[in-house]
Amino acid sequence: MDSGFIALVTMYLIASVRMATPLILAGLGEAISEKAGILNIGVEAIMLSGAFFSFIVAFFTGNLFLGLLAGIMGGIFVSMIHGVLSIHCKANQTIAGLALNFMMMGLTSFLFLIVFGQTTTLPSCSVFSEVKIPLLSSIPIIGSALFNQNIFVYIALISIVLTAIFFYKTEWGINLHAVGEHPQAANSAGLNVFAIRYFACFVNGVLGGLGGASITLGQLGFFMENVTSGRGYIALVVVILGRRNPVGIFAAAMVIGFSQALQYNLQTLGFPIPTQVFSMFPYVVAVIVLFLSIGKSIDPSALGIPFERNKR
Amino acid sequence: MALLSMKNICKSFFGKRANNRVCFDLMPGEIHALLGENGAGKTTLMNILYGIYSRDSGVILWKGQEVSFTSPREAIACHIGMVHQHFMLVPTLTVSQNITLGLREKGYPFPDRKALNATITEVSEKYGLEIDVNAYISSLSVGEQQRVEIIKLLYRDAELLILDEPTAMLTPQETEYFFEVLRKLRADGRSVIIITHRIPEIMSITDRVTVLRDGCNVVTEKTSDITEQELSQYMIGRQLNSIQREPIVPDAGREGLLLEDVSLKEKNIKGLDSISLQIAPGEIVGVAGVDGNGQKELVEVILGIRKQSSGKIGLDGLDMSSMSVLERKKLGIGYISDDRQQDGLVMDMNLTDNMLLKTHTEQQFIKGGLINARLVWEDTKKVVEEYAIKTPDLNTPLRNLSGGNQQKLILAREMAGDPKAIVAHQPTRGLDIGATEFVQQQLLQRRSKGCCILLISADLEEILLLSDRIAVIYKGRFMGIFPNTKDLNLSHIGLMMAGRTSEVREESL
Repeated sequence: MDSGFIALVTMYLIASVRMATPLILAGLGEAISEKAGILNIGVEAIMLSGAFFSFIVAFFTGNLFLGLLAGIMGGIFVSMIHGVLSIHCKANQTIAGLALNFMMMGLTSFLFLIVFGQTTTLPSCSVFSEVKIPLLSSIPIIGSALFNQNIFVYIALISIVLTAIFFYKTEWGINLHAVGEHPQAANSAGLNVFAIRYFACFVNGVLGGLGGASITLGQLGFFMENVTSGRGYIALVVVILGRRNPVGIFAAAMVIGFSQALQYNLQTLGFPIPTQVFSMFPYVVAVIVLFLSIGKSIDPSALGIPFERNKR
Repeated sequence: MALLSMKNICKSFFGKRANNRVCFDLMPGEIHALLGENGAGKTTLMNILYGIYSRDSGVILWKGQEVSFTSPREAIACHIGMVHQHFMLVPTLTVSQNITLGLREKGYPFPDRKALNATITEVSEKYGLEIDVNAYISSLSVGEQQRVEIIKLLYRDAELLILDEPTAMLTPQETEYFFEVLRKLRADGRSVIIITHRIPEIMSITDRVTVLRDGCNVVTEKTSDITEQELSQYMIGRQLNSIQREPIVPDAGREGLLLEDVSLKEKNIKGLDSISLQIAPGEIVGVAGVDGNGQKELVEVILGIRKQSSGKIGLDGLDMSSMSVLERKKLGIGYISDDRQQDGLVMDMNLTDNMLLKTHTEQQFIKGGLINARLVWEDTKKVVEEYAIKTPDLNTPLRNLSGGNQQKLILAREMAGDPKAIVAHQPTRGLDIGATEFVQQQLLQRRSKGCCILLISADLEEILLLSDRIAVIYKGRFMGIFPNTKDLNLSHIGLMMAGRTSEVREESL
């Protein structure tokens, strides 16, 4: 094979994995939440919150790990609001998610303005640098794509494996599945449906917050209004395409990640086409892939339906 | 000493008393029937015991200790188990996973499936409850699912098993098999409570019976000291009118409802397989079978909701195979669906609007191209009086009416304009005895007016009571059609419901 071609493939793979990382993290969180029957379309809000708080803390402390922790907390904060609304208040989960998306869009921009004021140059912080894993990173092509990356990529990869074990090898996975499929049955088997659902929301917050932080602390090094630019919604698409299966989510995120990498690249090649056309690309891919997968997805039966214990 | 005693249990739902100072006690090693009509408060009482509902007042003693469960988990920990009428199994999990759901077995959270399966098999074999532990619940029959539910309780070492309407969905053979299991459980020292409204079944299996009516105790008696007639009087508080079928008046001019070699294939699954049937005017044909053997498909194909893959459907000589639902209904077909909340009514709409669902295209309600609300209102008012539908007013959403009154409205709507045929799918499902009687009388009245009636019911008693002929359906096929006479062999019908024709043939040789 031509060495130039290999170099090109490697470059695209590295970029795809980077682009896919926030989607994988947020997607896994959402998959866990949906498995438990909580449809949280507020992923965008969780990610935005994660991105904002991770940047603020990293900027002022200069400590990226503290930033990462703050990102997680920010994600949990939003996800738990959604959890309380949909589990305790039995609100419509879709509306609650939408409301959170708009709320966090406004809130993060507002807080950003309060902290930094109107600036012409965006305040920035350093980003996590790549960590080379010995031996593994020298595997041709995929080595540098998977094993010479920043901490978020590793967390995402490990999360895929852990989620897969959790879903398919543990009693907890079965419990989660039961709660999402038939909460009455889970309740009568002695499981605490509410606790399991709150747990799922919590994990969704952790992973979604990480996903948000991976944008600011892994890729950009700065925060701006709507920095997630719809990645939360794309993550929802990834969950559906990947059938809530961790490996499926990885594959779906890679497809979208590749199209994102491609569009950045095409933008720089200087075609006489407005850049907006290229920016559309990942979303067009998402729509097309959704078209191709019509009718194949099987949702948990109790997805989006609040559980009431004393119901008649 | 009693194993369980419940004293003066009270429970209200939205101001309505579901249990009013109910007392109940159970001896160890006893099979005890809790008998009552729908809405008598049987299930409520047991749900209170099981920790699903909280009680308003009253005392529960389990083995002499006062208990108050706030969740099924606590009841299970005290070795009390319950099988609900609607099974509490996760269809997308396996038998084994369902049985151990919620338990913290050795190795938790990494279950050793093999070891667990071995224990499950041991328990199931002990009581003759055979099951494939690795099968998915969604692939099991109702009878098998019930077995899984019982194994689930035994796996948790339940000393008391509460079974809610356990025989409702079983064939006569499955019921007999199920009673055999119960006897083994009793012999093993376990106690069983059966919640039911079917009197004949409990006579052979139970030791004692407690009757509830309108949330109150009526009587508790040894089964051997009481007769079926007495029990039915206790249960409904009056004597039942016996139903009489007069002979069919032949109507030579009409062909009736005709199905010719009707098949339905959807997604490569045969829902219906060469169904042929002619229902004469003034005849009721009952279709017996275990739920989910093509009944819904049959009904919906006749109505045109689904399109048959091959075959012809006709009414009085008119081929309606390619007609739309509306055209068929206008031709004179009434439809009583088995799921009135889903298919029959719009629960949030009021009575007049629900009546309009069928009549909105009829010229008699249309003036100047618009529906005349006053005419519809008058029509509905007439219907409400005629059928004695209990409702505060005509603007009440159907949701606020009782099941019986909802069904009456459907009946009124579907029987308006003297239909030539009626398709009645489980017309008495979930109704109390009074409402059931009313529906059955209405069907018989239509019959005497020359209406062709297809009656589909999971309740064999009802089929036997009303039908002139009985068809048995299994996996979308008619296994046989018999005239409903006194010497009808019930065990043949039971075997056919379970899909076993060969044995029937052998016996009839």
